[in-house]
Amino acid sequence: MPKSVYISFAVLTLVYMELSMRVVTAPICAYGQAGCHAPSLADLFERVIQQSSRMHGISSDLHSELEQYFFPRKNVLGKHKCHTYGILTPDDKENAQRLGREQLTDVILSLLAAWSDPLSQLHRSMSQDQNQNFNDHSYSKALEISDMVHELREGVAIMAEKMKLLGVLGNTMGYISPESLVPSSAFTFYKQGELNSVDHHDLLYCFRRDSNKVKNYLQILKCTILPGLDC
Amino acid sequence: MMKKAVELVLLLLLLFFTPHIMGKRYSPPGKPTLTRCRSPEKETFTCWWEPGSDGGLPTTHALYYRKESSERVYECPDYHTAGENSCFFNKNDTSIWVNYNITVVATNTLGSAFSDPVDVDVVYIVKPNPPEKQTVTIMEDKGWPFLRVSWEPPQKADTRSGWITLIYELRVKLEEENEWEMHLAGHQKTFNIFSLRSGGKYLVEVRCKPDHGFWSEWSSTSYIKVPDYFHREKSVWILLTIFSAFIFLILTWLLHMNSRSLKNCILPPVPGPKIKGFDNQLLKNGKSDEIFSALMVSNFPPTTSSNYEDLLVEYLEVYVPVEQELMQEESKDLHGGCLKCERSTSDSDSGRGSCDSHTLLMDKCGETKEEGRHTDRASSRMLTEAQRHQKGWEKDTLTYAHGDMVSPDMSNGRVKTWPSVFSPLPQYSSNPLDKQSSLEMAKQHCLSTSSCLTQPGHSTKEALGPSNWDFCLGNKQPHLLHPQTQVGRQLQAHSEVNISNIGRKQAPAGLQSPALRSTEYVEVQRVNEEDLVLLQPVVSGCGRIEGYPQMPKGKDYSKVKGVDSDNMLLLQREVMEEDWCPGVDQEINGGTGNCYTSSTVNTTQKPTACIHTAMPVQGDMALAMNGYVDTATMCTLPTC
Repeated sequence: MPKSVYISFAVLTLVYMELSMRVVTAPICAYGQAGCHAPSLADLFERVIQQSSRMHGISSDLHSELEQYFFPRKNVLGKHKCHTYGILTPDDKENAQRLGREQLTDVILSLLAAWSDPLSQLHRSMSQDQNQNFNDHSYSKALEISDMVHELREGVAIMAEKMKLLGVLGNTMGYISPESLVPSSAFTFYKQGELNSVDHHDLLYCFRRDSNKVKNYLQILKCTILPGLDC
Repeated sequence: MMKKAVELVLLLLLLFFTPHIMGKRYSPPGKPTLTRCRSPEKETFTCWWEPGSDGGLPTTHALYYRKESSERVYECPDYHTAGENSCFFNKNDTSIWVNYNITVVATNTLGSAFSDPVDVDVVYIVKPNPPEKQTVTIMEDKGWPFLRVSWEPPQKADTRSGWITLIYELRVKLEEENEWEMHLAGHQKTFNIFSLRSGGKYLVEVRCKPDHGFWSEWSSTSYIKVPDYFHREKSVWILLTIFSAFIFLILTWLLHMNSRSLKNCILPPVPGPKIKGFDNQLLKNGKSDEIFSALMVSNFPPTTSSNYEDLLVEYLEVYVPVEQELMQEESKDLHGGCLKCERSTSDSDSGRGSCDSHTLLMDKCGETKEEGRHTDRASSRMLTEAQRHQKGWEKDTLTYAHGDMVSPDMSNGRVKTWPSVFSPLPQYSSNPLDKQSSLEMAKQHCLSTSSCLTQPGHSTKEALGPSNWDFCLGNKQPHLLHPQTQVGRQLQAHSEVNISNIGRKQAPAGLQSPALRSTEYVEVQRVNEEDLVLLQPVVSGCGRIEGYPQMPKGKDYSKVKGVDSDNMLLLQREVMEEDWCPGVDQEINGGTGNCYTSSTVNTTQKPTACIHTAMPVQGDMALAMNGYVDTATMCTLPTC
């Protein structure tokens, strides 16, 4: 008899603990509504920069993996461009600083927006291509970066909103929709040849660069808005 | 004319071969190679190349580059800033995230050579300068020193605007060591190093790297010497040493104090010999004679009746001749009461013979007397002893008694009686009141022998006949439990020899003493199937009870209840119906009295027969001619 009593008691205790000590995730909202835990701008920057850094790292790995299977090409991109060529991005420090924080934020958002769609198709395309031998890691990485792009885009948007709220960012953002700058079917931009096969290598090359731009712009933005220890 | 032609030819030849003699060849330049391109701050970059062979002619190198997605070719703007065979791109010419296609061309008079083009993206070729303004200081954390290393990022690298993000790494080693200890510092610009060796000299270096780029060179070494905090460590050791020494001293002192008990605990003393009378000193002295004499105990080895067998002895021998036989029965007494007797061959078949009729009692008595005569010689000594203790005992009677009783060897099948059994008897006979002594003797001796003792003081010599037997019954101490024969008396006499070892159950003293006193002869009637020897009282009514102090009247132990495990005869009390022959009369032989003495012959291994004889309380006078019942030796639990 006491044995069953102990067991039931233990079960009840566990159930109680489960119910009482449930960890509730506090949603983060940029606007600080009731019930949300509003992170600080520094936290947002921190999070965003980390995400972008990670995204860039994965894209670099993926690119280098692809490069192993390729005969090293003499001309990168050949005569082709990245589909985001329409987005004017500062290509040096002075230009970036001259651009201003609002525009910089726009550029970041534009870039991220431009890459959402192509990356999501990348994974599918990679599996269909018979020429290239992708291992499982490549597939997972491709999927990961496509998710990251989406998250980063949302995060930067939230951060921008917060900055506007804080008055850090002016409202003179002329956010140009990426559709006007970017070819409609970005993914098809990388198709080559008559067979219309997508050059994954070019795509990844472009994305690696653009992710680096995003990261760098975010860092500049951060050090401009929040000069601190890290800057 | 010939001369001129020859000279011309010689000149031509000379001109033609001179270059060959010199060994020089002109050729277009070899192919240069771009070795590396580096950018220190992601704002400018430099490319270096390695020229090929120059072909013997002065060659010039030129670097041309093409930017991404543009066909326009530019030439290197600065060949000198970065040194020889280098091209320096300044800020205006540097674009980030733009792919540069760079080619170097070597040219000489004979030709030019193109290097392989190299694609460069400045972002990925950043190698910053080493960190600057490195400082190492010694700081203390709760008394323990540590190194604090701090530095500044390289000046050119603009980390403040966030353009470049650097991570740092430092390495430390002692001056005498060979291997460096690496520490990754991350984005921070300070670092603490712990676990220093006191008095050691340390070398510290720092380097940095952008997120995606190359590590910088190590910074210039910083030297630092850690001060000696050795004494602090030492003091702890000194304290420990003192403390342990103190503890050690205490332990030593404790051990010394308790050395004896500890010694006893660890090495227990060897037990010495525990022998009675053994003197260690004598042994040490080395006189063996004394030693062993000391060991000699007076009564060791037991030469007397400590031996059971010695004590036991008695048999009940029943003659089955024509007449009754005197049966000497012996019963053993338990401790104390046993008379020491000669060892006699036990006759397990003592049941032979029978005193069947009362009438035969007298005859039997007579016969016994006769038999006693036969054994006169053997029992002479016994007689002597018995006489000693007696007054007025006829020698003859004693002789007879002894003869019957005490000559075990002589008489075949005779039951031997214990001398001790007899010994008290004379006393009793002589002094009926001598109970004490008899008691003592009884105690000492196992009076299990049943013997008809002739009446003391009775001149039985002549009256060996029935008169003797009469005496048995007419014993002054007729109340002896065990009718004792003359032999019994003899036994009594001998009983002084200790028979105590027999371990017989002591007959009740009172019983015994009177038993000793009364010498009665009981005729053994028969032995029944239960090994029950029924003794016929010789005379009834002739017994004269005298002083049976302890003897309850009316008790008759003439029947043997049984034999217990110790081969003891258990006598059964019976009420004496008959008169008890008090008397010394010679009319005992009437045999009217019942002399019940039952004795069982011990049929066990023991040769001696335990016979308990119950002396009729009334002192049955009838003495069996054949049977001797020693009431004195009646023990309830006699042990043979």
